Amino acid sequence: MQSAGLPPIDRGLRDQDPPRAARSRLEADRLAVDATSQELPYIPGSIIVKFKSGATAGALAAATRQVAGDTVDRSRWADFDIVAIPDATDPEEAAAILRARPDVEYAQPRYRNYAMSRPNDPLYANQWNFPAIDMERAWDIQPGATAAIIVAVLDSGVAYRSGTFRYNSRFPFRLVQGGPTYPALGIVDVPFAAAPELGTSGSTRFVAPYDFIWDDDAPVDLDSHGTHVTGTIGQLTNNGLGVAGMAYNVRIMPVKIIQSLWDEIFSSPNEGTDDIVARGIRYAADNGAKVINLSIGRSEGGAAPAVADAMRYAVGRGVFVAVAAGNTRSTGNQPNRLAQSAPDINGMVAVGAVGRTLDAAYYSTSGPFVELAAPGGDQRAGGTSAGILQQTLDLDVLETYERAVSQFGPPRADSFAYYYFQGTSMATPHVAGFAALLMQQGVTSPAAVEAAMKAFATDKGTAGRDDLFGFGLINPRATLRGLGLAR
Amino acid sequence: MTQGASISVRRGLRRLAVLAVASVICAPAPAGAQTGAAQPAGRSAIQIGGYAMVGRFTLAASESFDAITGDHAGPIVGGGVTVGLPLGGLFVDVGAWKWTGSGERVVVLSNEIIRLGIPLEIRIAPIEISAGWRFRIPRLPRLIPYLAGGYSSFAYQETSTFAAAGEDLDQRYGGYHLRGGAEFKVRRWLGLAGEVAWTTVADAIGGGGVSKTFNEDNLGGTSFRARITVGR
Repeated sequence: MQSAGLPPIDRGLRDQDPPRAARSRLEADRLAVDATSQELPYIPGSIIVKFKSGATAGALAAATRQVAGDTVDRSRWADFDIVAIPDATDPEEAAAILRARPDVEYAQPRYRNYAMSRPNDPLYANQWNFPAIDMERAWDIQPGATAAIIVAVLDSGVAYRSGTFRYNSRFPFRLVQGGPTYPALGIVDVPFAAAPELGTSGSTRFVAPYDFIWDDDAPVDLDSHGTHVTGTIGQLTNNGLGVAGMAYNVRIMPVKIIQSLWDEIFSSPNEGTDDIVARGIRYAADNGAKVINLSIGRSEGGAAPAVADAMRYAVGRGVFVAVAAGNTRSTGNQPNRLAQSAPDINGMVAVGAVGRTLDAAYYSTSGPFVELAAPGGDQRAGGTSAGILQQTLDLDVLETYERAVSQFGPPRADSFAYYYFQGTSMATPHVAGFAALLMQQGVTSPAAVEAAMKAFATDKGTAGRDDLFGFGLINPRATLRGLGLAR
Repeated sequence: MTQGASISVRRGLRRLAVLAVASVICAPAPAGAQTGAAQPAGRSAIQIGGYAMVGRFTLAASESFDAITGDHAGPIVGGGVTVGLPLGGLFVDVGAWKWTGSGERVVVLSNEIIRLGIPLEIRIAPIEISAGWRFRIPRLPRLIPYLAGGYSSFAYQETSTFAAAGEDLDQRYGGYHLRGGAEFKVRRWLGLAGEVAWTTVADAIGGGGVSKTFNEDNLGGTSFRARITVGR
């Protein structure tokens, strides 16, 4: 890695661009690198297992033998093990076998997780989302929190630093079955820069960065999702530039736990599996985060006990966790498995999305686990500008795989623009930023933060809690102001 | 008219004025008054007296006030006018007092009260209109027990930082009270009294704020008061 020494490029609002194709793949249409591997909701060849405390080495060995496994690996920030199994073995069946053992607390496949935002068309409008939840008056009471609050963004990385990274694109790939094959690029140098609206490279704005996809301390963003999400949480505000963020004075902990398309093209050693997510959560909790934002998840596969366990661990260490409910309501309404434990954990909230009219967004997954709603945008109801506007990586120079094969080339991650995204991914950072404001105001325990948010939420939909809005739309101003004696 | 005559007239008018005021406050002086001993309330003419009081008011909505101000009791100061009617020990009384408290806006979660650092001020200013009876104890002519009851009008103000239009509260609520105590006449025109008062002002609060959370709607309470009375 080399220091770039060049300022970031700001390409401004992209409101005149023609509508563009999806900016990244979703769960249903992930690319297949080298066009040979079958896309599964989990990684074959290994499973996540948590043995009960007191399980003997003999028991571990017996369990491993039972699924024909041969190695047990314990990673940092994990209280579970990765058990290797034969590639041909169905991980779900192997996990079920181990779950039946009395010395196993849980066992699950290494399900892949993805960013929760929906593709969108980058046209221009303003940030309707903050007035919609009365943020101007909320900021009067609590102006953006302070650097004492650290919000960990567990996502595809964050554009938080300058530098040049050298990657190796070793395999040709196709984006879709039957589509054109993009060539391997070989060794490429990718320039990075800190997003101008988040802070300067090397500043104290960013703390304890870590990349669980590449196993290093440089969680740079090759997707744009994490940078956009971070902007909603803590975009610099009142600086005469660009757009605003919820808690604009907090410090940001970039933690990369999601593999972007480019990470996949560059053959990152890890994917955003449950074990990676769980380790990221524990890492954030152990390194000073007060709030964790998880605009990620998966709707395929089974439960996520490893992640739920990590969430309990984080909440137990005083960390509030906000998780996206999911974007599947219009496509089957499968829940985000990572969000389903929200009702059981006081201090963790599953967030649904509303559009500009404050109705439930068409994609916002409903279910008994949804606890709160926040603006996530609904571009089907309100057009492009009904998304959530933030600065993020310039997709024109990042997603070169969206070009014709002949124009395909290495990405740039040092150019920025303002884009509208929509999704519960965009709703969740509103809640994370709100939590930071509440913590600054004195509501410090995660359970109290959740309870306060619910108590003051604006009821929507069916009276009382419902599966679309949960307890209602967040109301930061009312919550931060609290109660008087009679009013 | 000479200057000397003018001064004399003015002095005469002043004496008349003083006598007139004295006659309103004290007259008619019963025969017993000539002995210097205090008398129970007059029975044959209107008597007017005033008083100042200090005391301590304990609010019935204890959980609500504890949550906001950290206490549900505090000092009160006030005063009033008492008019003795020419009908035995019957009297009417109009008094006013005030209680103030300061605290912070809060979030109440289960049994936890979290202060938010947003200053809040409460001012309660009741006006009490009472009718009562003073009792005569022949063997203790200086000691005058009394009982009274009547209507209370509680002005309630609640103000806090960051309030938008209509979010602060400035309302008046009606209620009732009972008072009982005893006055000791130190002089014919000067007395010391102690009393206890119980007030109920139902449905005043409880529609919002922590009072709704705690299901407390009564702005009344119990107060202990010490009075200095002047007049008869």
